[in-house]
Amino acid sequence: MREELFVSGRNIPNIDPYLNIWHWQIPIYLFLGGLAAGILFLAGIYTILGKEKEMQATVKWAPFIVPFALIFGLFMLFLDLKHKLYFWQLYTTIRLQSPMGWGAWVLMIITPISLLWSATYLREVFPKWDWKFKFLYTFEAWAIKNRKLIAWPMVIYAVILGIYTGILLSAFNARPLWNTALLGPLFLVSGMSTGAATIMLISKNHEEKKIIGRLDLLFIIIELFFITHMIMGSLAGSQVQIDAISILIGGQFTVSFWVFVVLLGLVFPAVLETMELMGFRIPTIIPVLLVLFGGLIFRFIMVEAGQITRYLY
Amino acid sequence: MEKLKRDGSFYINPYLGGVILGLVLFSTYYITGRGLGASGAVKSSVVTVVDAVAPMHAEQGKYYSKFLSADSSPMNNWLVFEVLGVLAGGFLSGAIYGRLKIKVEHSPKITSKTRLIAALAGGILFGVGSQFARGCTSGAALSGMAVLSASGIITMIAIFGSAYLFSWFFKKLWI
Repeated sequence: MREELFVSGRNIPNIDPYLNIWHWQIPIYLFLGGLAAGILFLAGIYTILGKEKEMQATVKWAPFIVPFALIFGLFMLFLDLKHKLYFWQLYTTIRLQSPMGWGAWVLMIITPISLLWSATYLREVFPKWDWKFKFLYTFEAWAIKNRKLIAWPMVIYAVILGIYTGILLSAFNARPLWNTALLGPLFLVSGMSTGAATIMLISKNHEEKKIIGRLDLLFIIIELFFITHMIMGSLAGSQVQIDAISILIGGQFTVSFWVFVVLLGLVFPAVLETMELMGFRIPTIIPVLLVLFGGLIFRFIMVEAGQITRYLY
Repeated sequence: MEKLKRDGSFYINPYLGGVILGLVLFSTYYITGRGLGASGAVKSSVVTVVDAVAPMHAEQGKYYSKFLSADSSPMNNWLVFEVLGVLAGGFLSGAIYGRLKIKVEHSPKITSKTRLIAALAGGILFGVGSQFARGCTSGAALSGMAVLSASGIITMIAIFGSAYLFSWFFKKLWI
C-alpha cells in the first residue's frame, strides 16, 4: 500500500476559498471614515474660500461630529483586531506597501487635526468653557488666526482618508470584486455625499442647505457614474472579474444592492433633493437619512460580497 | 391650478386612479409573475421577528414554519420590496401635491387618541382576517379578481360588504 500525502492550498479556513475575516465592524468604520472625510473636506474648502460666515454649519458645527466619528471608527477597528493589545505596533512600523499602514498613519494625522479644528470653535458653542492654562489660550488664539493654514492639510488629508477607505479594499489583489482602481474614488465620493447629507441635517440656514444640497446631488450623480463604470469595467474584464461583479447583477447581493443602495440610497434621495431645489417642500431629514442609510448598506455589501468573490483556479 | 395642486387639496380622480392601479397590477403580473399584496409584507416581517426572537417557537409553529426556509429569509420576498416602493411613491406624491405633514385625520367629534386606537384595533383585526382569508384587499381581492378567481370575487364582496355594514356603527370616527 502506498500512502500519499496531499498538500493543498485550497483549504485555509477563513481565507481560502472565501475570506471570512471582516465582519460588521469594518463597514461601520469605512462609513464613519468616509463621513468624517466628507465633512472635513467641505469645512476646509469653505474656510479656504472665506465663506465661514455663510456656511456656519459646514465650517463650524458639523465638524464637531468628526472627532467622535473617527474615534468610534477607530474603536471599531480595534474591536476587529484578533490581538487587540498589539494595536500600537501599527504605529511603530512604516511600510509603504501596506494600505493598512497608510490608513493607520492618515488617521493618526487627521484625528488630531479634526480635534484641533473643533477646539478652535469650542468656545463659540460653550462660551463658559475654560481652557485652564494660559498656554492653551495662546495656542487657541494662534489656531483661530491660522484656520486657513490648518484647513489646507485638513482638506488634503480628508481626501486621502476618503480614498483610503476604498483603497483598503481595492489593494486586495486576491478579491476580484474589490480589485478595481475605481473603488478609491467611489468610496471618496460616497463619503463626500454622506458628509454633505449630515451637514444638511445640521444646517438651519436655507441658503447653506441649498448649496450643500446641490453639492450632494452632484456627488450622487458622480457616484452613480462610478458604480456604472465599476460594473462595466468588470464586465469588460477577465472571467474572474465577470464572475465577481455578477454577485451584484444577478447574484446573491443583487436585490440588496439595487434596492437599498442604488434606488433608495442614491436615486430616490437625488429625486427628492432635485424637487427640493425646484421649490417643493421636502423634510430634509428624509433624503438625508436615505443617503446615510444607502452609504452604510453600500459598505456592508461591498465588504461582505468582496470577501466571497475569488480567483478561479 | 398650480396653487390648487400644491396646497394638499388636490387628489387624483378616483376612476383614473382605479385605472392606473389596474395597469400597475397588470404590469406586476407581467414583471413578477404574481399580483400585488400588502399584508404579505407585514406577515414576512412578523415571521422574521418571531424567528429572530424565538426560533424554536417559529420552527414548531404550524403557521410560522410555512414561511421559513433554511436558505432564504422571509424578508426576501417581492411584497416586502413592493411595500418599500409604495412608501417611496406615497412620499413622492405627498411631496408633489404639498401633503407632507404629520397629522391625524379624524372626525371633530373624537380625539386623535380615539382615532389612533380605533385605527390600530381595526388594523389588527384586518391583519388577522387577511391571514384567515389567505390575502388582503390587494393580495386576495384585487389580484384574485384580476385573474377571475372566484375567491377573489368572494373576498371583495366580503370585505366591502362587511365594511358597508360596519360603517354604520363606526361612522362617528369619521363624521
